[in-house]
Amino acid sequence: MASSEESATKKLDLQKVMDRIAEASKQVVSGVEAGTVENWVTIYIMGRAYQVPADLTILTAMEYAGYKFVRGVGCRQGFCGACATLYRKEGEYKLQAGMACQTRVEDGMYLVQIPFTPAEKPSYDIAELDYDVNTLFEYYPELARCVSCNTCTKACPQDLEVMDYVQAGIKGDFGDLAEESFDCIQCGLCAIRCPSEIVQYNVAQLGRRLYGRYDSPEPEHLTNRLEEIDEGKFEQALDEITSLGREELEKMYAEREREQE
Amino acid sequence: MAELEYIEGYPAYMHELLQRVHASREKRKTYVPEAMSMEEQQKVLKLHPDYAPGGKRNISVGPNKGDVAPEPVADLLEAYPLVGSEEIDISSADFDVDIMVIGGGLAGTAAAIWANIQGVPADRILLVNKLRHGDANSIMAEGGTQAADREIDSLDRHYLDSMGGGHFTNKPDVLRGLVEDAPFVMHWLHELGAMIDKNEDGTFVEKWGGGTSVRRLHSCKDYTGLEEFRVIRDEFRSRKIGCIEHYPAIELLTDGEGTVTGAVLYNLETGEYKIVQAKATILATGGFGRLHIRGFPTTNHYGATADGLVLAYRAGAKLRDTDTVQYHPTGAAYPIQIVGYLLTEKLRSSGAQPVNVDGDSFVFPLEPRDVEASAIIRECYVRDKGIETPTGLRGVWLDTPMIEVKNGEGYIKKAFPGMDRMFSRYDIDMTNNPVLVFPTLHYQNGGVETDPQGRTTLDGLWVAGEVSGGVHGKNRLMGNSTLDTMVYGRRSGMSAAEYVKGGAEQGKLTLEHQTSYVKMLKEADVPPERRSPILLPEYRGKEALARMIDVF
Amino acid sequence: MKVPYYPGCTLKTKAANFETSALAVAERLGIELVELPRWNCCGTVYSLADDDLIHHVAAVRNLIRVQEMNAQGLVDDEYRLVTLCSMCFNTLKQANVRMSENPEDLEKINDLMYLEDDYEGRVEVKHLLELVDELGFDKVEEQVKNPLEGLRIAPYYGCMLLRPTEVGIDDPEDPQIQTRMLEALGAEKIENPYRKVCCGSYQTVQDKKVVSNLAYDILTHARNAGADAISLSCPLCAFNLDSRQREIKEDHPSFREIPVFYFTQLMAMAFGLSEDYCGFDLNYIDPEPLLSAKGIIGGSNGE
Repeated sequence: MASSEESATKKLDLQKVMDRIAEASKQVVSGVEAGTVENWVTIYIMGRAYQVPADLTILTAMEYAGYKFVRGVGCRQGFCGACATLYRKEGEYKLQAGMACQTRVEDGMYLVQIPFTPAEKPSYDIAELDYDVNTLFEYYPELARCVSCNTCTKACPQDLEVMDYVQAGIKGDFGDLAEESFDCIQCGLCAIRCPSEIVQYNVAQLGRRLYGRYDSPEPEHLTNRLEEIDEGKFEQALDEITSLGREELEKMYAEREREQE
Repeated sequence: MAELEYIEGYPAYMHELLQRVHASREKRKTYVPEAMSMEEQQKVLKLHPDYAPGGKRNISVGPNKGDVAPEPVADLLEAYPLVGSEEIDISSADFDVDIMVIGGGLAGTAAAIWANIQGVPADRILLVNKLRHGDANSIMAEGGTQAADREIDSLDRHYLDSMGGGHFTNKPDVLRGLVEDAPFVMHWLHELGAMIDKNEDGTFVEKWGGGTSVRRLHSCKDYTGLEEFRVIRDEFRSRKIGCIEHYPAIELLTDGEGTVTGAVLYNLETGEYKIVQAKATILATGGFGRLHIRGFPTTNHYGATADGLVLAYRAGAKLRDTDTVQYHPTGAAYPIQIVGYLLTEKLRSSGAQPVNVDGDSFVFPLEPRDVEASAIIRECYVRDKGIETPTGLRGVWLDTPMIEVKNGEGYIKKAFPGMDRMFSRYDIDMTNNPVLVFPTLHYQNGGVETDPQGRTTLDGLWVAGEVSGGVHGKNRLMGNSTLDTMVYGRRSGMSAAEYVKGGAEQGKLTLEHQTSYVKMLKEADVPPERRSPILLPEYRGKEALARMIDVF
Repeated sequence: MKVPYYPGCTLKTKAANFETSALAVAERLGIELVELPRWNCCGTVYSLADDDLIHHVAAVRNLIRVQEMNAQGLVDDEYRLVTLCSMCFNTLKQANVRMSENPEDLEKINDLMYLEDDYEGRVEVKHLLELVDELGFDKVEEQVKNPLEGLRIAPYYGCMLLRPTEVGIDDPEDPQIQTRMLEALGAEKIENPYRKVCCGSYQTVQDKKVVSNLAYDILTHARNAGADAISLSCPLCAFNLDSRQREIKEDHPSFREIPVFYFTQLMAMAFGLSEDYCGFDLNYIDPEPLLSAKGIIGGSNGE
């Protein structure tokens, strides 16, 4: 099989393979051609109606409609929190929230982006702080104003239990605060919607840093390694390996042992 | 055409095909193809987009004249500036700082912090961002960060693994800096309070990465870059270091004699320009995924448009390894909304296997990235064993349910919350069904040539992170990119701070380097409409664009 | 008996020793206090404004958690919810009363909390002291291994356990519940006319003086009546009467400091449990010299 495949690879026009891949990816890379679209929906961007292909996300639909983003877009893949969007659907009272890059368009969506959240972020030196609930209240006294209305949770596009982690903070449960807020992308929608004007994601940031630093010590194997480096343990090996030529390196690489699983 | 019937998020025909993956799982629990020999690797690499013919040309102007680069990159290097000295007033500066950092991902932010730690006051540092501070590839890094901190491991072993992964083209002294500082970076992150995954006994969880000979990969669930960056940005903000957003640099300023002295910034919203003068400039602008080289979708963020390469090159800095591009083996290939998105290598190091249409595993899951990617392309387009999506893309299965077989029930939700969330938005449950993957444009391997302090061939200019070239050679290993950003962010920040504290003078602000570059462009017959940097890719609908008029 | 238990924030932070002692003595009495999953702050004080429904959401949400616990079979009690803090008790119970008396309010709140199950109004809010009373202080007496003989204690009630009468657990004019407890523990009970006077509550945050003046009156009257110590049932009262003795001492140098016990600390001592459960290091006035002098600790063997 190997030899017949080898000849197949040889015969194959490699450039053609690349061209086929590019052709298949075209819709993703340079946008949908209107002629190929089967299903359309109507969305309302800040109140104005646009017909867009039904397969798009809010972000790509707005681009299709002609918007060039200089704000309200970042990673385009759900990590950065730049494209926070609020929307209501026709005939519904519920105000919904989502990341524009992660939410499919639906017919009758009225949407607006919230590309910026004004928020206080106090200065602190994590090394000087007490690992104690008072630290949270010292920097974010408004934390005590939480009325447990859960509006933050409803607004979270990551589906986090925001109120629960805020409450964990209030009761000084750093483990719960850190774990439950871990997937936060700091888009700001919780803070925008909070009737108590808490900036949940900044509180969580402080809580996670305290937890990360103080909950368990630096692993011993790391501390030991840092000491070894200070003592120059690897100097000679690095001097040698950095002076090797390609052939010697290739040989070493081919012969290197793999750690047992 | 009739509407497709969907089952568990997949069209019925794909759902039927994936039953073969379920059927073969028992067999694959014990059978995994062996890693390829060097000869086999060389053979399959012919199918890599970098090695397949076409898509590249020689650079015709500048310090790297004659070197090979992907066509979209060559196009940007061989392009006219957005503004010339006749259009703007550079005689006085709007910002006067000691250190300007361009680019606010992990590298730039770390550079600013370490310059501050080295004694440059917070108000004498300015971090310039094209988008928001943190809209960067850094926060999208999922898998992890390498650091040789286990007893079984050593710095030279990390060096050798990285060298082999880079096909022995890495710059030795720069790679040495990377592996030497890696344990310190983990220490720094821990001190700052990053939540790095730990075992019950308090040691770090360390995973395999493609091409590593030991488990060396540290992670923070599958939000590693996000966690590292959030913590570092919080530290940056606590230090009150200067920062402006939505204000990309569109040109560097030099003294006309090869020293970088500042930059021209552009307000993306109002169109106003500002002049910065700085004794030292650190370029940390990231890579070029949004150029969609060879027509590939990308894992990169919106602003990954090679601005830094263009700016540095035009100012006279030398580049290296411009010919290679990293394609991540496993980008999402279905559904259409997430095509190209990164599915971390950590999925494979946790047990997920690539599987073809017959349900067979066809490649060792942890080959170096270029080899793994080529093997998947071969499966889809040479052996015709791929699975075609309704929009005509081909891919192979990544058998994610195997992760739970190997690590226990509930592991995916715990270790891959981001990925799981992404697929569940499209009704796909990656715990119970495989996902479809195909290589995606991921990383700029080369870049602005650097030394172990992050210095470039120009005085007054440092680089850090993806924009730099040398440390990874022609292929970067998993877990070495976030590491690179923090090691060389720190090194460049410290080196620039020493330079400033050593009495560096502010040089005059000129665009003379531009004048001579434009002259070369004209001599090379570069079409005058080609301009760079492009700052942002163009995704507007063609119908809408066709009817646009400019009245202001 | 597995009973849903609402700790409240203070018991998890400043007054963790009240919780450890309470859990330990409850266990001795055959009560397993099962912490409410996902509980939130009770709302801190019951809002008296008629049109301020949003401030009852916090309390009602906790009551819904009790329903969930019952539905999941985590507890085997008939919808009782036990608290240790008088403030939480009062806030939760008043909200509960309001919900049962105003179906319209309940509907609005249920509507607002549409992600939760509806609150059915079946929960009964109890203070631990009340639960123990219902169990019978004779059961308490059975557990006493180390009677608090010779210890003269003035019970203090404050406001939240007694007022308003719809939620109070005892006669607001002449409360006796702690007296019965002290008798069961073998302590000598001292009458203090100031036992129902407010401790100053949250004024402690805004104006320490208001609180230290009130505390001075309460404590000196107890002292003058012959008390060696105070017993009480609320972490906020405890803070005001115990920690504010620092400010009292500054204003009245001749003031004689007096230890303040949370009632479960006394129970734990009397049950012969280890001092570790009492966490006296968190008390501002160290009660150990007094306890040693009376032979309650030091001599006998704690567990």
